[in-house]
Amino acid sequence: METHPSYPQLSLLVSKYPSTAGSLFQTYNDLLLGKFYNAVKSQQWRDLQIVDLGEPCNRASLQGRRPAHIAVEDVDALLHVVPCFMSETISLSWISDVFKALSNPESIYLAIATEDSSIVYYKLSSGIVKPVV
Amino acid sequence: MTQTRIPIHIANKRAFVWDVEDLVKLRSQHHICGILVGTLPHLSQQNVFLGVPLVLMPEEAVLLVEKEIAVLVDDPNAYPEPTPTQLEKWMSEQEYIVQRHQALFEGNLKGNKETKASERAMSEEAVRKRKERELRRQQKALERQNSPLDLNSDERPSSTTVSASAAPAGAVASLPVSAENEENNSSFNVIVPAISSSMEWYSPKGRTFTSIESAKEAGVWDYPSDLHDRARCGVFRDLWEQGYFMGGGIRFGSDYLIYPGDPLRYHSHFAATVIDSPISEIRPMEIVAHGRLGTATKKTHLLCGWDDEKKQVSYFSIEWAGFG
Repeated sequence: METHPSYPQLSLLVSKYPSTAGSLFQTYNDLLLGKFYNAVKSQQWRDLQIVDLGEPCNRASLQGRRPAHIAVEDVDALLHVVPCFMSETISLSWISDVFKALSNPESIYLAIATEDSSIVYYKLSSGIVKPVV
Repeated sequence: MTQTRIPIHIANKRAFVWDVEDLVKLRSQHHICGILVGTLPHLSQQNVFLGVPLVLMPEEAVLLVEKEIAVLVDDPNAYPEPTPTQLEKWMSEQEYIVQRHQALFEGNLKGNKETKASERAMSEEAVRKRKERELRRQQKALERQNSPLDLNSDERPSSTTVSASAAPAGAVASLPVSAENEENNSSFNVIVPAISSSMEWYSPKGRTFTSIESAKEAGVWDYPSDLHDRARCGVFRDLWEQGYFMGGGIRFGSDYLIYPGDPLRYHSHFAATVIDSPISEIRPMEIVAHGRLGTATKKTHLLCGWDDEKKQVSYFSIEWAGFG
């Protein structure tokens, strides 16, 4: 990991939270570089930053804006992406701690990293939110 | 004071509703749907059209009792032995029904105008003749077989003036009876009433429970029994108080399906899973499974967390992110 070009941005929080470093590293690079091997600048997440969630979450989170070319409602919204591993166990109090640490956004994206390097993203919203038709 | 609460009949710790009027009230006034499980005795595999009884989820029964909308009735113990008078009255009512059916059947067979034939068949003369025929037939059968005492051959003061309550609304079981004598081969229906109140000796009053605790103490009911049950009750109640209709969620991999209105009119928007406590372990794979299934079926999956100390429910909605 240390030799990877993205390491400088991650080094601080990787060393602070070593047990979750792997998922942070995977997710950061996935969002930054996307699935596009051409790595065209416009197809990456914008304004990507790493956030320290502090106690009791003890992990880092990512925030940024979606690639501009994808047509979604409110494409410039600041989204929170919280990485974790498929092999971890979480709980509802874990989820509400994360929401609290991020000052209660409407929703967060849970990035679940797996051993074969695939990542799946699921949107967790606080409360009962109707599905988008 | 007469009981205005809906009776929920408990048999073997399951909650049943038998009265169609109560069913309607539960659905339209209290947005509790339940599941109809009654089918036909001779075609029990038929499940396209199901009738009474309605089975309630244990959470639904608990909620209805706690909200004082219903009471629990220990049904198996609500039938004391009928008095001889009550039994006689019941038997003559049954006879009247049988005769009426046979009269209508005969009327139809002969192709006459139904009303005239049945009127004729029901005249005093016809009834008396039929009774004599019946008695004769049974005596012949007795002599032939020397069989044990047949209830029907008892001599009784015949009375054709019976109360109108002789034909209660209820399920009809069709039993083709082959008479021992070829003279009278008409079949008749044995009516099994769905509502026990048509039987004079039915006494639910002594076996009615107005609270879950009292029913538990009497050994009639035992839900909720642990944290998981309490969590389900708590979540169900919270969702009910918000006005939703709830149905079973097994078809969508959840505990409940949540409808914004009557399930006959709406598709459900949510599939809900009950989480027993804030610290219950959840694996990320579950988030994947719930999220994917929900999104594929145009629903949001809800994680409903029960806090047993604060007695509160917290909700999180899961959706596939749409990227990644």
